[in-house]
Amino acid sequence: MDAELAEVRALQAEIAGLRRACENAPAPWEEKSRVQKSFQAIHQFTSEGWKSSKDLKNQLGHLESELSFLSTLTGINIRNYSKHTEDLTSTEMAEKSIRKVLQRHRLSGNCHMVTFQLEFQILEIQNKERLSSAVTDLNIIMEPTECSELSEFVSRAEERKDLFMFFRSLHFFVEWFEYRKHTFKHFKEKYPDAVYLLEGPSSCSMGIRSASRPGFELVIVWRIQTDEDGKVFPKLDLLTKVPQRALELDKNRAIEAAPLSFRTLLGVLGIEAALESLIKSLCAEENN
Amino acid sequence: MEQANPLRPDGESKGGVLAHLERLETQVSRSRKQSEELQSVQAQEGALGTKIHKLRHLRDELRAAVRHRRGSVKARIANVEPNRTVEVNEQEALEEKLENVKAVLQAYHFTGLSGKLTSRGVCVCINTAFEGNLLASYFVDLVIQKPFRIHHHSVPVFIPLEEIAAKYLQTNIQHFLFSLCEYLNAYSGRKYQADRLQSDFAALLTGPLQRNPLCNLLSFTYKLDPGGQSFPFCARLLYKDLTATLPTDVTVTCQGEEALSTSWEEQRASHETLFCTKPLHQVFASFARREKLDGSGLLIDCFHCTGNTSEK
Repeated sequence: MDAELAEVRALQAEIAGLRRACENAPAPWEEKSRVQKSFQAIHQFTSEGWKSSKDLKNQLGHLESELSFLSTLTGINIRNYSKHTEDLTSTEMAEKSIRKVLQRHRLSGNCHMVTFQLEFQILEIQNKERLSSAVTDLNIIMEPTECSELSEFVSRAEERKDLFMFFRSLHFFVEWFEYRKHTFKHFKEKYPDAVYLLEGPSSCSMGIRSASRPGFELVIVWRIQTDEDGKVFPKLDLLTKVPQRALELDKNRAIEAAPLSFRTLLGVLGIEAALESLIKSLCAEENN
Repeated sequence: MEQANPLRPDGESKGGVLAHLERLETQVSRSRKQSEELQSVQAQEGALGTKIHKLRHLRDELRAAVRHRRGSVKARIANVEPNRTVEVNEQEALEEKLENVKAVLQAYHFTGLSGKLTSRGVCVCINTAFEGNLLASYFVDLVIQKPFRIHHHSVPVFIPLEEIAAKYLQTNIQHFLFSLCEYLNAYSGRKYQADRLQSDFAALLTGPLQRNPLCNLLSFTYKLDPGGQSFPFCARLLYKDLTATLPTDVTVTCQGEEALSTSWEEQRASHETLFCTKPLHQVFASFARREKLDGSGLLIDCFHCTGNTSEK
C-alpha cells in the first residue's frame, strides 16, 4: 500500500505542476531555465532510444525532438521551408571550371507572438580557389505590422541582406518587446489611476499623472533599439510636463536635470524599480 | 504473538476458567480487530486503486493540454488533416512528415545556429556571416550530463572559449551558445574585411597588411593615388571589443611629413572617422571611387598643397 500511496503523492504533485504550467504559458524571458530542463529531457530520450532502428516512427520521433530542441534553443520556430535551385553556369564559365548556382529559399515560422515569412536568394560561385556564398536578395514579411520598432529593425536587415543578424536579433528583440509589454501592464494594473498607456499595451511610452497634482506629468519613453552588430538594447528616456509656475519656483533646476537623473536612477535600480519609484514619488500623497 | 495457553507449566492457572475466558475474549477481539483492519485496508486499497486510476487520467489530460498550449512543434508539422488520416496510407503520411521535418531542420542553418542530437548530448553548428556573405562554420560538441562540458570543438584557439564556457555553460547553455556566436561572427567579419582589403585593394596599399590571428589589430600603409607623389598614410586599427566588427581605436598618421598642412590634417582626420564607422573594405572602395571621380575637392586640394601640378 505504501507504493500506491507514494504513487498517489507523485501523481498529485505532477498534476499540480501541470496545472500551473497550464495557467501560465512560459514568458519568453523565463524560458532560459526551460532550455536547461529540456536538455536533460532530450538527453534522456536520446540515451534511451539511441539503439537506432530503421523504423520510420522512431526516426521521425528522433528528428522531431531535434527540431524541438533547436526551436527552444534559438527561440525561433520554423514551420515551413522550401528551396529551389537554378544552375547559372554558362559554357564559358564551365570551361574555366567556375560554377554559378542561384538558390531560392522560402521559409516561414514564428518567434512567440511575431510571425515571419522570408524569401531570399543565395548566389554561390565556385572557382578553383574557393566557394563564395552571398545573400543577394532578402524579403521579410512580419506580423504584427503596426510595430514601428519592429519594422525599423526588419528594414535594416533587408537592406544589409543580413539574414543571420535578423534571426539573432529577432529573438532578443521579441524578448525585450514582451518584457516591456509585461512591465507596463503590471504598472497599469497596480496603479490604474496614476498610470496611462497612450497606445495600449504595446505602446512604447508610459505616462504618470496624479490627481492631486494636476498639470504635472511624467512620461517614460522606452524604445528598443538594434545597433550595427545586431545587438538589441533598451533605451529609456524621461519627459516631464510641468506647469509654468512650478518651473519658475524650481530654483534647483531639478526639472531640467530630471532626464539625466532618470538615467542614473535606471543604472542604480534597474528598470522596474526605477519606474516604481517615479510613480510613488509623484503620487506620494495618495499612497499615504 | 503470544500463544494463549490455558495450561501453563508453572501452574499459573490462578484465574482458572475466568482467566481462560478472558484470554479467549482478548483473542477474539484481537482477531476481530485484525479482520476489521484487513477489511478496511482492502477497502482503502480499492479506493486507492480507483483514485490512482482517476489521477492518472487527469494527469494525462493535463499533459495533453500543456503540450497543446505550448504549441508543440509536433502538432504544427503535421499537415495531414485529422479527418483524412483514415484514408491516407499511414506509411506515406509518415514519409511526408519525415521529409518536412528534415527540410525544416536544414532551414535552421539560416538562423546561424543548428545542431544534431548525439548519444552524448548535442553537436551545435555555428554558422557565421558578414553583411550577407556566408562565411565559415564552427561546431561545438556538448555533453549534456551534469556537469555540462565540451567534448570537442572546432573553435580557433584565440577565441576565449574557456572563458565563455566558465561563465555560462553550467547555468545557461543558450547564453553560452549565443555569446560564442557573437564572438565567432565578429571574428569572421573582421577576417572577411581584412581579406577583402588584401585581395581587392592591393593597389592602394604601399606595404603588406599586418594582422594578428584574431584580426583585431591591423596595421597598414596606403596611398590614395598609387603611383602619385603624395605621401602615404599609416593606419593602425585596434578592435578592443571582440564582439564588434568595427574598430574601437583608430590612428592614422602621415609618413614623412613633418608639418602637416590643414588639408592633409582634415583628410587624415576624416580617414580616422571613416575607419571607425564603416567596414574596412568599404572605406577603401570609396577611396578607389574617389580616385576615379575628378571632382573630389579634398583630393585636388592635396595635390595643390604638395605642389603637384596635375590638373583635372
